[in-house]
Amino acid sequence: MATKPPSSEDIIGQKYDRCMADFLVKAGVGFGAGVVLSVVLFKRRTWPIALSTGFGAGAAYADCDRSFNPARIPGTRIISQLEGKQ
Amino acid sequence: MYRTLPASRRLQSTTPRGAVRVIRRRLATEASPSTPLPKKKRHVVRTIVLSTTALAGTFYLASPFVAFKNEAYYDFFSEHVPLGYSTLEYAEGRHWDTMTLESALESSKKSLASAQRYVTDKISGTPTAQGAIESVKNTRDAAVKAMQESKDRANSAAARIKTGIKKETSGATAVVKHQSEQFSREVSELIREAEAALAKGLDVAGLATTPEVAAPPVKAHDESPTDAAGTSIYTAPLPVGFELPPGYARPAPPKKPESAPVETPKLPLLSPALSSISSSEPIIAHLAGTIDDLTAYIEANPAATAQAASVLETAKSDLTALATRIDKVRQDERADLESKLDGQTREYTVKLLELEMEAQDRLDGQEQEFRRYFDEERARLTQAYREKLENELQTQTELINERLKEEVIAQGIELQRRWIREIKVRVEEERGGRLAKIDELSANLKRLERVALDNSTYLDENIRIHALWSALRALSSSALASPVRKPFREELRVLRHISAAREDPVAAAALESLEGSDVPDVGVEPFADLATWFASEVAPKVSHVALVPDQNAGLLSHLASRAFAGLRFKRHGLVSGDDVLSVLARAEYYLNEKDLDSAARELNQLKGSAKLLLHDWLEAARRRLEVQQALEVVQAQATLASLLVV
Repeated sequence: MATKPPSSEDIIGQKYDRCMADFLVKAGVGFGAGVVLSVVLFKRRTWPIALSTGFGAGAAYADCDRSFNPARIPGTRIISQLEGKQ
Repeated sequence: MYRTLPASRRLQSTTPRGAVRVIRRRLATEASPSTPLPKKKRHVVRTIVLSTTALAGTFYLASPFVAFKNEAYYDFFSEHVPLGYSTLEYAEGRHWDTMTLESALESSKKSLASAQRYVTDKISGTPTAQGAIESVKNTRDAAVKAMQESKDRANSAAARIKTGIKKETSGATAVVKHQSEQFSREVSELIREAEAALAKGLDVAGLATTPEVAAPPVKAHDESPTDAAGTSIYTAPLPVGFELPPGYARPAPPKKPESAPVETPKLPLLSPALSSISSSEPIIAHLAGTIDDLTAYIEANPAATAQAASVLETAKSDLTALATRIDKVRQDERADLESKLDGQTREYTVKLLELEMEAQDRLDGQEQEFRRYFDEERARLTQAYREKLENELQTQTELINERLKEEVIAQGIELQRRWIREIKVRVEEERGGRLAKIDELSANLKRLERVALDNSTYLDENIRIHALWSALRALSSSALASPVRKPFREELRVLRHISAAREDPVAAAALESLEGSDVPDVGVEPFADLATWFASEVAPKVSHVALVPDQNAGLLSHLASRAFAGLRFKRHGLVSGDDVLSVLARAEYYLNEKDLDSAARELNQLKGSAKLLLHDWLEAARRRLEVQQALEVVQAQATLASLLVV
């Protein structure tokens, strides 16, 4: 994986590309699992499909947001030095 | 006069012939007038004249001899005495100066003889006293010669006949007669001689005109012939009768001239009768002479004359017979002897010839042998002497070579010493004269050296600066002005070396920092690339995130910034404002103005995600600016150096 690191101005575009790919994969996996549940358990009902797709899309968004702002981790908060002194 | 003549002659005998002639002439001229007048006055004059002439002659004769002995007298005589010089010349011409006593005597004798000859010449030339004297002399000479001849013949005949003829006479005549012959021989000889002399003397007397003049020479000359004859006749052949002549010979001559003419008609003389025989046989002549003597003797005694006449006649006949007999016998003997002699002569001639031939041969052989021996000996001697000579020569050559070598070495040393001395002197002179100029020259040289050194440093500096500029240009052209990015480590290294050689701390430090980084390996972006990069990629993407907050910027803020960025107005030019778009506009302006430094400074003020996006560009721009700054420093240093040099 010794590929050339991208230039600094292309970092945002790369993040965009990865988020899209992650969203598609996770949304597709959720959609598939919803279909199976719907068929197997819920006798062909539609709402399990939408729910599982939503779960997939939500996970993809959370990962993408974390990639743009790595410091924003749930449950933690970064306190600046000025704030810490106050 | 007659007495003085021999005396003067004796005196003249010590003088040379010329003087004698002079004196003789004077005497001859003076004699005729002086002799007939024997007066007292004349005698005085004559004495004076004679003494004067004698003295003058003696003086002139003796003077040269004295002059040759004494130098002062020579001068005196030649200068002051009249005729002195000519006399001396004459004496020198006749070599009187080298004359001795013996030579003088000899010459006087010669002069005497010549004087006599002169006198006889004079006499024979004129019929005077001189003629008489000359004829007398001639007759005397003839008489002396005849006597000499007869004497010799008598001697030989006596010697021969004593041995050979004695036998014949013993046979022919009696012993007594022979003895009487022996006895009478002496007498007869004397008689004959006297007769002969007197006969000639009488002839002379007959010739003479004046008896006074003719007589003295006869008498004068008669003495010497008789003396000469008496001594010559009776010495050798008849020693027995030697004592007789002095007693007999002297009285005889005066008598005979008187008696002979008187007695000749009385008794017959044998000598004239037997003259034909006696001429060939001297002994007969002697015998006849003896008989004549006897006749004379008998005539002297008149008593015996009568008896003796018959005896003399018989003796005469016997004697003639004997003479004829002797003659015949002698002729026979002679013929016999001649024949015998002829035979012996032939024999001995033949023998002599043989002997001569033999001796000749032997002599030839000996000569050849001697010649050969001589040649051998000569060759041997030549060889020996040549060897000796060669040895000598070799030794001499060696000696000479040795000596020459020594001399050459000595001369070489001497020459070297002289040269060294001369060189020293020259060096001193040079030091005194020319070394003074060397200081000046050295000063000049030092100045020149300094100038040259300055020049060389100048040139070196120039060359170094030139090289520096060249390297700098090469580096800037390869690093900054090249259209593509390429590494410039080589150029940087050259430039650094050149600047390090110049020991420029500032440039060295700048280049050191540049070389320490990896910039030279990768090179720097060209300004055109950077500008294009900024305008085409960096500036739009930065403007997309221009509204993103610096902190807690999530996906939604980015999406919102992106969505609103397209809606905003694009700003251009040198605009004020701290927002991202204003900064981007100023940077773009500066980049258009080719002011990368200002553009980089503007962009460097951005924060947040814009700064993240600009990171790479800013890095490239900073590297370029660093290189550019370092090169500018070096360039400034080079400019400064070139300004310093000039």
